[in-house]
Amino acid sequence: MPDTSASCMYSLVSASGLQGVARPRGRTREDGAPRGWGRPRTQAPEGRLPGAQQAEAFVRAFLKRSMPRMSQQACEDQLQRKAVVLEYFTRRKRKEKRKRSKGLSARQRRELHLFDITAEQQRYSLFLPLHELWKQYIRDLCGGLKPDTQPQMIQAKLLKADLHGALISVTKSKCPSYVGVTGILLQETKHLFKIITKEDRLKVIPKLNCVFTVEIDGFISYIYGSKFQLRSSERSAKKFKAKGTVDL
Amino acid sequence: METGPYYFVKNLPLHELITQEFINTFVKKGSCYALTHNTNIDEDNTVALLPNGKLILSLDKDTYEETGLQGRPSQYSGRKVMKFIVSIDLMDLSFNPNSKKCERVSWSFKEKKPLKFDFLLAWHHTGAEESTMMSYFSNYRIQELQPKIALSTVTELQCPVLRSGALRGEPEAACSAPELLDWLGAVFSRADLTNEPHSFVSTYCCPQPSTVVARAYLCTITGFILPEKICLLLEQLCHYFDEPKLAPWVTLSVQGFADSPVSWRENEHGFRKGGEHLYNFVIFNNQDYWLQMAVGANDDCPP
Repeated sequence: MPDTSASCMYSLVSASGLQGVARPRGRTREDGAPRGWGRPRTQAPEGRLPGAQQAEAFVRAFLKRSMPRMSQQACEDQLQRKAVVLEYFTRRKRKEKRKRSKGLSARQRRELHLFDITAEQQRYSLFLPLHELWKQYIRDLCGGLKPDTQPQMIQAKLLKADLHGALISVTKSKCPSYVGVTGILLQETKHLFKIITKEDRLKVIPKLNCVFTVEIDGFISYIYGSKFQLRSSERSAKKFKAKGTVDL
Repeated sequence: METGPYYFVKNLPLHELITQEFINTFVKKGSCYALTHNTNIDEDNTVALLPNGKLILSLDKDTYEETGLQGRPSQYSGRKVMKFIVSIDLMDLSFNPNSKKCERVSWSFKEKKPLKFDFLLAWHHTGAEESTMMSYFSNYRIQELQPKIALSTVTELQCPVLRSGALRGEPEAACSAPELLDWLGAVFSRADLTNEPHSFVSTYCCPQPSTVVARAYLCTITGFILPEKICLLLEQLCHYFDEPKLAPWVTLSVQGFADSPVSWRENEHGFRKGGEHLYNFVIFNNQDYWLQMAVGANDDCPP
């Protein structure tokens, strides 16, 4: 029995759909009578089977019996013009998959030796042109370094500037053996400076607890390494607070 | 007797003390002593040159971080280390003048952080005197000074009775050695030795048993005195008892500089509240002697 009822319901719905009549919307008909389940009796459906009529009656009775609370009117309203879907499909929004290149993790980078500087490349003379390039870059950034430029402006610009290729030396450090190391900056990571000295030695200096000196055209700036522990890319977006004195 | 001249140089840069010339002329021939003048050991940078050729620098934190020389933190620092001690062996430097160590030290003193101090210098030369400090440092303002000697007599002085064999004293017979040291301090600071009720300054009383001495001599010598001269003085005092004398004993007290970075034998010296380090000889008429050594709170025990 349940199977026939289900098929009856479907046939009922589809039959109404097959009519192809542009059904007027609204609860009441033009003549005031409520829109009902059935079609206006005046219009005799042409392709109507007697079985369909029987099915209609059965469904109506079935609904009345299973949902005694709901009036027939409410039932008919519910079923009107609606496809009763017996299976429930959730509308899953398909997020468009952004093709994002994940990038390499630190381990993979280390294995690939992307950022290593090989022994043949560790020559000071090779990096002098880089230093010249950096000097030019800074000069452009500060709009020409004249002797009467404001040091504050240069400092502010240097904080956001990229320091690759600058001539850096350590003036103060909690560890005395780092003091005095001077060279061209090759790589800057979050915690380190990699410097090549005049004797063609690659020195790795931790930023923490060190004060570095950067010199450009006679302007000497002191950088406190402990406050500078950022990747160079992130540093351009960071705002630095002014502090009175910093103790190492 | 002659207690030797000592020299006072103003604004002497530190790199002058590590030149090969200086080491060969003064440090190697005889014993050379140097100490910075008017620097407080607990707040300023202090430098001392010892006769065994070691140059000791006691630097505050910022200076130490800038010089770049290897040192160790001071023993008497609290939670936060404020003082560092750097020790440079000049004999070692002169052995190989082209070593990395020597270059680093001279770079640090000449270019990185040139330090200048007022120095008190003294030199005890063995052998013929070839050059003097006056001529060597003629570029700088150098003065030759003699230690100041002050002599005074005290009459009717209460002295404790001592027996040379009894260091700890005997009840009713002799006083102990610590009591003697206290008494010496009271006498030299001219304190009243009788505990008078109206005396506000001190309630010190001469240790019993005591005798009253008709006349006592107090002699104070102030200056940068060489240990060799002190030895000579001690010998002379020993010879005082060659002829029989009324006095039962004589004392010789030596007080070290409160601002010296070293105490005995390169032990570190701190100031705390007094910065005292001293030793005291008591010489008896039977050629026995007592030696007492005293240090302050921030010091290691004397050897």
